[in-house]
Amino acid sequence: MRGLFTSITKIRRQVFTEVARYAFERDLDNSDFNFFYESSYRIIPGEVATYRDSVFKERAIIRERIRLAMGLPIRPADAHQPLTKGMAESATADKLLEMPLINVIPFACEACATDHFQVSDNCRKCLAHPCTGVCPVGAVSIGKTASVIDQDKCIKCGRCKEACPYQAISRIGRPCAEACGAKAIGSDALGRAKIDQDKCVSCGLCIVACPFAAIADKSEIFQLVTAIRTGQTVFAAIAPSFVGQFGPLATPGKVVAGIKALGITRVIEVGWGADIGSLHEAEEFLRDVPDEKPFLGTSCCPSWAMFARKEQPGLANCIAQSHTPMVAAAQRIKQEHPDARVVFIGPCVSKKMEALEDEVRPYVDYVITYEELMGLFAARQIELNELKEAPLMDYASRDGRNYAVAGGVAQAVVNVIQETAPGREVPVMKADTLHECRKMLALAKAGKVNGYLLEGMACPGGCVGGPGTLSQISRASKSVAAFAQASSYRTASDNPLDQEVLPIAPG
Amino acid sequence: MANIIVEVCSGTHCVMLGAMNIIDSVHSLDEIRHDMDQCREVEVRAVPCMGLCKGGAQGPFVRVDGLLIKGGESDRVMAAIMDRCAQSQDT
Repeated sequence: MRGLFTSITKIRRQVFTEVARYAFERDLDNSDFNFFYESSYRIIPGEVATYRDSVFKERAIIRERIRLAMGLPIRPADAHQPLTKGMAESATADKLLEMPLINVIPFACEACATDHFQVSDNCRKCLAHPCTGVCPVGAVSIGKTASVIDQDKCIKCGRCKEACPYQAISRIGRPCAEACGAKAIGSDALGRAKIDQDKCVSCGLCIVACPFAAIADKSEIFQLVTAIRTGQTVFAAIAPSFVGQFGPLATPGKVVAGIKALGITRVIEVGWGADIGSLHEAEEFLRDVPDEKPFLGTSCCPSWAMFARKEQPGLANCIAQSHTPMVAAAQRIKQEHPDARVVFIGPCVSKKMEALEDEVRPYVDYVITYEELMGLFAARQIELNELKEAPLMDYASRDGRNYAVAGGVAQAVVNVIQETAPGREVPVMKADTLHECRKMLALAKAGKVNGYLLEGMACPGGCVGGPGTLSQISRASKSVAAFAQASSYRTASDNPLDQEVLPIAPG
Repeated sequence: MANIIVEVCSGTHCVMLGAMNIIDSVHSLDEIRHDMDQCREVEVRAVPCMGLCKGGAQGPFVRVDGLLIKGGESDRVMAAIMDRCAQSQDT
């Protein structure tokens, strides 16, 4: 539930903390993973159910969440498989993650009706009963005490709902399916939500939307911590949306200090990679639009890019070819430190998918979200406010830092275009959430956006609205704006990118 | 009339368990409270770790005019503030 803290949020974070704790505390030579049986009792104590009909069901769901947090697939519910199956193999610093990334835990799903109209107690059996009059198929009639909808006849047009003067007719939808802009959620044989992995673009909005917490993504926190504990050098590339995510007292410098306290060598801003992306996309726009391509679509949101290519394959070449900011930043690290591991820390699930791509694997070893990072801090009892600020890495321009909010990417690219080719007009169209992106793509297909720069974002408000964030969108947007203003460089062109900016000495 | 002071612990554990959402929900009370006459202003402060989580107690921890609310979800904090408003009206 976006922006709200509910029991679901609490459970998710408790799971991350348990997995992080074991990752840090286990005996590397002798781990039996039975710790995780105990985790389920710590998270769901006692004998009385709090969230669902039985403690046993609650714990069973926790155990599947633990498996996903370990990067493992969930178990089938109709055959015996120990909780710890596969965990020994997952206790590695190597990348383990495989699709499917986003999973419905079927027995946690309450099989919500997908599109269902029903009459509530608000109905007063009024004299006018407009509900019956507007129904095109005669599905509504007046019963003994209220109007009645014949579900076999109902065609879900919604006219009865609109007509009722008491709002007595309501529509129940399936929240996950309705949040899914890619229309990738259908049903299995038991009516429970099922993700069509061919249509899914891993945006993760279904995870946020499900009020029964039945959907979860896989994590790489265990593998990241194993890398740290086995003495590997790990660099972190942190997305521009990180500011303000860890509480009002956790300044950017303290967040960096906290990440280093976990055993990570150095943290660089991906906003810097965003500056590189802005330069490349501006160059591509000036070179190709309108002669080679009718318009250019930004590429930093992998879910938007994948969605655009699937939805309008004929326009696939109009999505910018440049590497995303994450990859640009990771490439730079690997260039200077080829044996180091790179972890991208960001707001989203989408980047986990991007890191599975063949072209990206050599550069990005792990992707974790701010929520997962918070689990790491909690597991190590790192009190961010008590740390001394680590030097503020001033590598990204204001425009690069603004990539975190919807509109920021387009503005950054436009600024470079106008600095390179003054007087060049760049009409811009933006869309956030895949529902809006779909509409924008339809306009593109109809030839209505020729000469435009299109910015697509899968998450509402842009990256600050990602499923792995901890802060409310409006609060996060303000923090991002303030951090952006604090940069010494305004646009990507101002940023002296050819400096040697990554000495390995710990800061 | 003195302000109602709401101190929201903003240490790691409490932020993870929703401190920022509590702060936002307290701010959201402003619209409701302005309909109530003579209610005191609410001042929200994000305070450093109060140390109450050591020893296993679960946050988030909030003090409303000194009254400690443990493991307080937004609704309990808002209710405690509305309670203080009502009390101050009686005096």
